[in-house]
Amino acid sequence: MATPEHAGPAPSMAARPQRAPETFFKAQERNRRATWRMSGLCVFAAFLMGIPLTLVLTPFLYAITMATAEVVNYFSPLPPEFWQTTSDLARLGYRVTEAVINQRGVLDPVQLAIVVALIFLPGIVIALMLWAGMLLLFRHGGVGGTLASLNAREPNQGDLKELQLADAVQEMAIAAGLPAPKVMLIDSPGANAAAIGTSAEDAHLVLCRRLLDDLNREQLQALVGHLVASVGNGDLRIAFTVTSVFETCGLIVTLINAPFGQQSRHTLWRMLGYVIRRGPGKAAAAEEVAELLADTLEMGSTDIERFFNSSRPGMIRKFLRFIFFPFLFTNAAVELTLWFFLNVLLGPCMALLWRTRRYLADAGAVELTRNPDALAGALQSLSEDTTAVAGGNWASHLFVVNPTGDASLRGDTPSGEQQRKFLEAWRAAAGGSMAATPPTTTATAPADFASARREMMSLAMAAAMGDADAVTRLQTFAGAMGMDPAVLHNLPNLNDLMLAQRGDRAALARVRMQRQSRQRQQGETRSGRTGLQQVSFVSFHPPLNKRAKRLQRMGARLVAPSRHGGIGTRIVIAVLYLILGPLLLAAGVMMLFVVAMMIGLNLLFLALWLAVIHWAFAQDWPAIFNGFMKFVQDVSAAFNQRR
Amino acid sequence: MTNFSTVLIALVIAAIVALWFVLHAYNRLVAMRNNVGKAWSDVDVQLTFRHDLIPNLVESVKGYMVHERETLEAVARARSAAMNTGADIATRAVAEMTLGSAVGNLFLTAERYPELKASQNFLLLQEQLTTTENRIAFARQHYNETVRQFNTLIAEFPWNVLAERFGYSPEKLFVAEPPDRATVQMAS
Repeated sequence: MATPEHAGPAPSMAARPQRAPETFFKAQERNRRATWRMSGLCVFAAFLMGIPLTLVLTPFLYAITMATAEVVNYFSPLPPEFWQTTSDLARLGYRVTEAVINQRGVLDPVQLAIVVALIFLPGIVIALMLWAGMLLLFRHGGVGGTLASLNAREPNQGDLKELQLADAVQEMAIAAGLPAPKVMLIDSPGANAAAIGTSAEDAHLVLCRRLLDDLNREQLQALVGHLVASVGNGDLRIAFTVTSVFETCGLIVTLINAPFGQQSRHTLWRMLGYVIRRGPGKAAAAEEVAELLADTLEMGSTDIERFFNSSRPGMIRKFLRFIFFPFLFTNAAVELTLWFFLNVLLGPCMALLWRTRRYLADAGAVELTRNPDALAGALQSLSEDTTAVAGGNWASHLFVVNPTGDASLRGDTPSGEQQRKFLEAWRAAAGGSMAATPPTTTATAPADFASARREMMSLAMAAAMGDADAVTRLQTFAGAMGMDPAVLHNLPNLNDLMLAQRGDRAALARVRMQRQSRQRQQGETRSGRTGLQQVSFVSFHPPLNKRAKRLQRMGARLVAPSRHGGIGTRIVIAVLYLILGPLLLAAGVMMLFVVAMMIGLNLLFLALWLAVIHWAFAQDWPAIFNGFMKFVQDVSAAFNQRR
Repeated sequence: MTNFSTVLIALVIAAIVALWFVLHAYNRLVAMRNNVGKAWSDVDVQLTFRHDLIPNLVESVKGYMVHERETLEAVARARSAAMNTGADIATRAVAEMTLGSAVGNLFLTAERYPELKASQNFLLLQEQLTTTENRIAFARQHYNETVRQFNTLIAEFPWNVLAERFGYSPEKLFVAEPPDRATVQMAS
């Protein structure tokens, strides 16, 4: 670890022949074709997901209709033709189902078509209508909400770096022949960038201020080129469509939950408010509704479970539970189906679709700047830093690099630039507190770096033991490295730990407080893993080393770090895949089985429910009541006579 | 009779398809040529912007660079030459390239004056000039790319007939000097 290798390109690179070079035109064509393939796959995945979903929802819809018809019929009798038609259709359905499943009787294609339409059309029509509604609803949402949640600000024209950024955006827009998008800055410790908006017209580029210091002008330009190319390719429209699919799924779950609790009704009210709303608050409302709908897709947080799980229910609640019991099954089946298919099928397809857009934008950036080195350098720089950005969870897929960080382009040994920075900061910190060796040489030998690192380790130990001098020195060092000095406060103090073990209350309280603050911070970083990322186990961002390899084919001279470990690790990984693959497959099949069982149970409960309702409404209740009263009177009369 | 009507229907369908194709192709040609025009106007805007910028530039460095009268005059001369070229793209390209290299030369000279280099004003000016040069380069790159696409299109089969019929001819590229930055990197 401490002895860096300086053997030029890693030997394993030579072992694997490098792929043939490719022009950026070819690369763009290839990625465009890949996008078409992936969108075909997405449509297919949506279709597959729709089958179980309609199988759950359609009987439910019919059951609701029938129950309503029963109630209406009780008070004002419906025409007998209605009941005749319903009964005919039900018989037809039964006959065709038996012909299909039990191979009994003859199958008439017309009848089959009618039954298939009866089963699938309502679900498809409703899903498409909801989706179109979502598209219409958020089309004019604007980007203000996302920008507000990111705390974005306008660049300051007086600052040379920010002026350079504005110029770079103009230049790239000219190179792409597009109107220049607006550019906004985020003052956050992360380093990332995104293009945000619903279409090319209201596109906003959002960059972290720190990028302007970390990247040189060419790298910055390449990064902006990526964003501009992405906007020019119409990625915002695609992202909008992708999110609207997820929002539609969230809306379905919300609608099903609406009779049972506060949370879904709150979401629906918010949506209604957003529809009516005009004026400046609309963008923020759009953001809020999108977040609410996304939260609905998380498992185990819905109203209906609370409705059925509350302890010690009252009499009315018990009765309602009995009445609404089939709803629970429908609801659970819908949620399970959505969760499974989104995570395993539709989510990964959309993630892969989105990845082709990232590669396309990379190639587009090379076309605009004609400088593959700059983009590769920028990506490497983003990989070296932490890229987490506070806020804007919903838009996490829009960022250039995965906002939760991507270390795949980070080498094992720090780059020369980083070593130099480290040593400079180290010397600055040393000069502050003790008379250390003056910086005689500016050239950085690896040995210098290694020894500085060792010193740093011992200093950190001293600081942990409670040496105030060491702590201040570390803080100066952290400040010089551009880190947040507050990070050090989160390290547990060893002195305190020892005192706490001996039973010192004050020390115990200090340790506890530190742990709490640390947990709070970790909680914040975990909440960054939301947005679309949470509904797909495949990341929406291609790994940086793959992107670097493709840039290499377009002429970048950056050498992506090769995976360490030779044939041995590969065999282990292959064996792991061989074991895990069938297991995962089996788990998937089990899940499908569970989904099928849920659908069957749902059907069964709906049928029972309908039978009970039908029986209840077929009775002549007033007559029964009169009979019962008469019985009571008779009994009491007989009782009186006896006495 | 049935045979005749089938042929008739087929002919009508073929005519509709052919008409649709011609309309579509014509629209595409028009759109492409408009793109070329738009790209050219982008180039023109950027070039004019540089013409307007140069007097300010010369004014602000003049005070420091009293001994570089020749360099400054070369810039002024190149500017007036570039502004007075006609509509021909090739001659204009040559004149603008000369102006570009004159300005670059001026900045190389300015690097030798430490007090000038250190001033904040100069840094801003340098950024302004860098972005202007970049904008011209990128606008030219976009223009040449658009022209290349247009020229390729009207040389291809179905379109070349239409292009000839409607009087569309290949557009000229905006290149003057031996291959510069962009073309060198493309070739490698």
